[in-house]
Amino acid sequence: MHSTAQTHSLQDMRQQAAIAAKVFIQRDYTNGTVCQFQTKFPSELETRIDKQQFEETVRTLNNLYAEAEKLGGSSYLEGCLACLTAYTIFLCMETHYEKVLKKIAKFIQEQNDKIYAPRGLLLTDPIERGLRVVEVTIFEDRSLGR
Amino acid sequence: SRYVPVCPWLSEQFSVVVPIYNGVTFLFVLANFCMATFMDPGIFPRADEDEDKEDDFRAPLYKTVEIRGIQVRMKWCSTCRFYRPPRCSHCSVCDNCVEDFDHHCPWVNNCIGRRNYRHFFLFLLSLTVHITGVFGFGLLYVLYHTQQLDTVHSAVTMAVMCVAGLFFIPVAGLTGFHMVLVARGRTTNEQVTGKFRGGVNPFTNGCWKNVSHVLCSSQAPRYLGRKRKPHGVVVQPPFLRPQLTETQLAAKVLDNGIHGDLHRSKSSLEMMESQSCDAEPPPPPKPELRYPGLSRESSLLSKAPPTPTMYKYRPTYSSPGKNHTALTHAYANQMSRGDSLKESSSLLQSSQQPGFRSEPSLDGREAPGERGGGGLGGGGDRPGGGGSVGGAPGSGGGGIPGYSLGGRSYPSFSDPTVLSSGGGGGASRSSSVRSGSAHNAAHISEATTSTSYKSLANQTPPPRNGSLSYDSLLTPSESPDFESAAPDMSPGRHRTPAPQQRDAELHQPSASSVAFLSYPHRAHYLRSDSSRNRTPTPTTLSPLPPPRPPTPHPHHHHHSSHSSRPPRFSRPPLLSDSAAPHHYPYRTRSTDTPLAPSTHPPRSPHPPPLGKSLSYSSAAAAEMQYRMVRKASASAGGGGGGGGGIQAPKDEIQMKLLSRTNGQPRSSLSSSGSTPSSPSHPISMSTRPGQAYPSPGNTQSPAHKLVGGVKKVTGVGGTTYEISV
Repeated sequence: MHSTAQTHSLQDMRQQAAIAAKVFIQRDYTNGTVCQFQTKFPSELETRIDKQQFEETVRTLNNLYAEAEKLGGSSYLEGCLACLTAYTIFLCMETHYEKVLKKIAKFIQEQNDKIYAPRGLLLTDPIERGLRVVEVTIFEDRSLGR
Repeated sequence: SRYVPVCPWLSEQFSVVVPIYNGVTFLFVLANFCMATFMDPGIFPRADEDEDKEDDFRAPLYKTVEIRGIQVRMKWCSTCRFYRPPRCSHCSVCDNCVEDFDHHCPWVNNCIGRRNYRHFFLFLLSLTVHITGVFGFGLLYVLYHTQQLDTVHSAVTMAVMCVAGLFFIPVAGLTGFHMVLVARGRTTNEQVTGKFRGGVNPFTNGCWKNVSHVLCSSQAPRYLGRKRKPHGVVVQPPFLRPQLTETQLAAKVLDNGIHGDLHRSKSSLEMMESQSCDAEPPPPPKPELRYPGLSRESSLLSKAPPTPTMYKYRPTYSSPGKNHTALTHAYANQMSRGDSLKESSSLLQSSQQPGFRSEPSLDGREAPGERGGGGLGGGGDRPGGGGSVGGAPGSGGGGIPGYSLGGRSYPSFSDPTVLSSGGGGGASRSSSVRSGSAHNAAHISEATTSTSYKSLANQTPPPRNGSLSYDSLLTPSESPDFESAAPDMSPGRHRTPAPQQRDAELHQPSASSVAFLSYPHRAHYLRSDSSRNRTPTPTTLSPLPPPRPPTPHPHHHHHSSHSSRPPRFSRPPLLSDSAAPHHYPYRTRSTDTPLAPSTHPPRSPHPPPLGKSLSYSSAAAAEMQYRMVRKASASAGGGGGGGGGIQAPKDEIQMKLLSRTNGQPRSSLSSSGSTPSSPSHPISMSTRPGQAYPSPGNTQSPAHKLVGGVKKVTGVGGTTYEISV
C-alpha cells in the first residue's frame, strides 16, 4: 500500500498536465500607472472557471497592489528613516512594497492551490513579468479527451 | 581637504555645527548619488517568448490605451518583446525598457527611472544645497580674512569658491528644471519630447500628490534578479469545470474588454470566423466580422481591417528588409485573427464614443492614400485596434474616393466622415479582397513601407554605446523616442520612402539623446516606413532621401482633434501621394482645440552643430532659454499655430513635428514628415508660453522670420523652428 502510494505520487509528478495555452491578463491603465490588472474575464477561461471567481481574484490582487503603492504614513516614515541612515537601512529591512509583494505571492500560491490548480489553471505572479501581465496557464484536459 | 583651513576657523568662529552640517550634507549627496548610480532604475525583464502570441507580421506596432480619458499609445518594443507600458521607454544606451523612464544620465551612467528618480532628485537638491553651503562658508572665510588673502588658505578657499560657483549654475539649473517636472508630474522624457504640450497630462495628480509620490512613496520593487519560485503545484486532470449557463454560451461574443487585448483563443476565433462569413459587406457589420478567423485562407473571405500604420512586423529576429516576406505577411494581415477581431470589435465600439482609442483612426485617414500602399501590407489586422471601423459604418461608401484599400478595412476612426467613407470603402474592399491577393500583394509592398510594423521596428538598430547618446543628440533624427511621431507620420510615410531610414534606429531611441536634445521624434516618421531606407548609420541625417512629397499636411493633422477636422477626410488625397490627413488618435477630451492644425512643426533632421559636450544641464539651460524664446516668439507670432494645436497628451510621440533646420531650407527630411515651407502645413510648435519644449541644443538666441505664413524661429544653436502663424 505504502509503496503503491509512493509510486502513485511519483507518477503524478511525472504526469503534470501539458500546457494547452496561456492567457495574459493585461494591466488596466485607466487610472494611470497605478498597478491594476484588467478584471475582464478572458474568453479562453470561460470553460474553465467561473467568471466571478476569477474577477474576485483579480480584484483582490488589485487591492493588494494598491496597498503596496499607497502613499501612507508608513511609507513616508520608511523614506525618512532611509534618508537618515543614508539608505543603509535597506540592508536589513525590506521595503513596504516588498512586504506587500510577499503577501501577494502568498495569496497567489494559495489561490493556485485551492482554486486554479483543480481547474487546470495556474496563475503566475506578475512580478515575474515586471508587473505587466498576469499569466494564466491553461493545462490540457486529457481526461476529457481534449 | 579644502575644508581643512576653513572649517577649524569656522567652527571656532561660529559654531561647531558648521563642519557637521557640511559633513552631513556631503554624506547625503554621496548616498543619493550612489543610489541613483547603482540602483536598478526599474528595468523590465524581457518578455518570454510565449507572451508574444502575435504573429510578427500581423501585430500592430501600437496599442492604444485610455488613461483618464486621454488616449495614450503604447509602442511595441521589439527588443523587449512587449508593448511598453505608459511612461516606459527603451533606453538605447542600456538597451532596456525602463519604467517611468526619465532620462539616461551620463554623469552617473545609468538610466533614471521609477525606482531611482527620487534618489536622483534628492541628489540634485542636496548637491545644490551643498554647493551653496561650500560657497557660502568659503565666502564667509574670505570676507573675514580680507587682509590675508595672499595666504595659502585663502587662495585655496577662493579656488574652491570658484569651482563651487561654476558648478552651481548647471546644477541649480537642472535642479530647478526637475523641481518643475516633479511639480507637474512629468518625466524629463515627456517634457523634452513635448508630449504634453497641449497641457493635458494624464499622469498628474496635482502638485502636492506628485511631490509626495516622488518623495514619500515606497521604493518600487526591482523586476530583474528576482528568484522565480517554482510553482510547486501539481496540476493534473481531471479538472473541475464551471457550469456554463445559456447566457454564457450565447454571449460568447467578445465583450469590449478594457483595451484591445492581444490574446486570442481558438474558440473565440472560430466564433468570429463564422460570424465573419455571415457578415458580408455592407455594413455595418459587427466589428468582429471584419476579422476573419485565424487561418490565412479565411482572410480571403473576409475583409481584414488593415491598419497600415498600426501594424508592425515582428520578425523573428530576422528582420532584414524583408519586404517580400512582409508583403506576404502583410497580406496575411488581412486575415483576421481572433484577437484582432476582438480588438476591432472593441475598437469599433469604442470608436463610437468620443474617446476611442484606436490608432486606426490614423490609418483610416490615410487609408485612401494607402491604397497603393497595399492597404498596408497587411495593414495589419490588428490595428492597434483596429478595426475596421472604416468598414463598419459601411455607409459612406464613396465618401473617400479610392478608399478601397485592396479590400482592407480600416480601423475605426472617430471621425464620422471617415467612418462613413470607410463604410463605403468596405464594400468595395471586401470584393477586392477576394479578388486579388496578387493585387493586394502588389500593394503590399508599398504598404509595407508605410506601415509601422513591428518587424520594421525590429530592424537591427545601429549599435549603441554610450557615445551614441551624444551622437543621437547630434543627429536628432536618430535619437529620440520616436514613438510619438510615428502614427502621425505614417500616413505620410506610406507615400514617401524617405523617412524610413531611421526605422531601425528609431526603434530604440537613445534615451539620453532624448533628454538632451529635444529633437524629437522625427524618427517616428521614419519608423513607420518600411525599413528599406534605413540608414545604417544613425548619425547621418543626410541620407534621408528627400522624397517626401510636398504634402505636408498629414502630420499636422494628427494632432488636431478629430472632431475639429472633419473636412480633412473629404480630401481626396487618398489617391494621391499626399498624405491623407492623419489624425493621430491621441485625443484629449479636455483640450479639444479645433484648430491649430499644427502642432507639430516639422522637424528636419539635420546634423546639429552641437558638440558632444552637450550635457543634460546645458540641455536644461537650453530648455529654459528656449522657453523664453518661445514665449517671445509666441507673442510675436500672434500665438502662431493656434497655441500649437493643443494636443492630447501623447504617450510617445508626437512631438516630432518640430522641424529644425539650421538656417537652411528644410530638406525633405522625411522624418519630419512635412515640408516646412509649406504654408498649408499647419505645423507649429506649440507656442504656449510656459510650454517648455526644450531644445537643448540651442545656444543661440532665437530669431524670427516670417516665411510664407509660417514663422521660422531660429532657436538656440541655429536650429530653426517653424511656427505657423
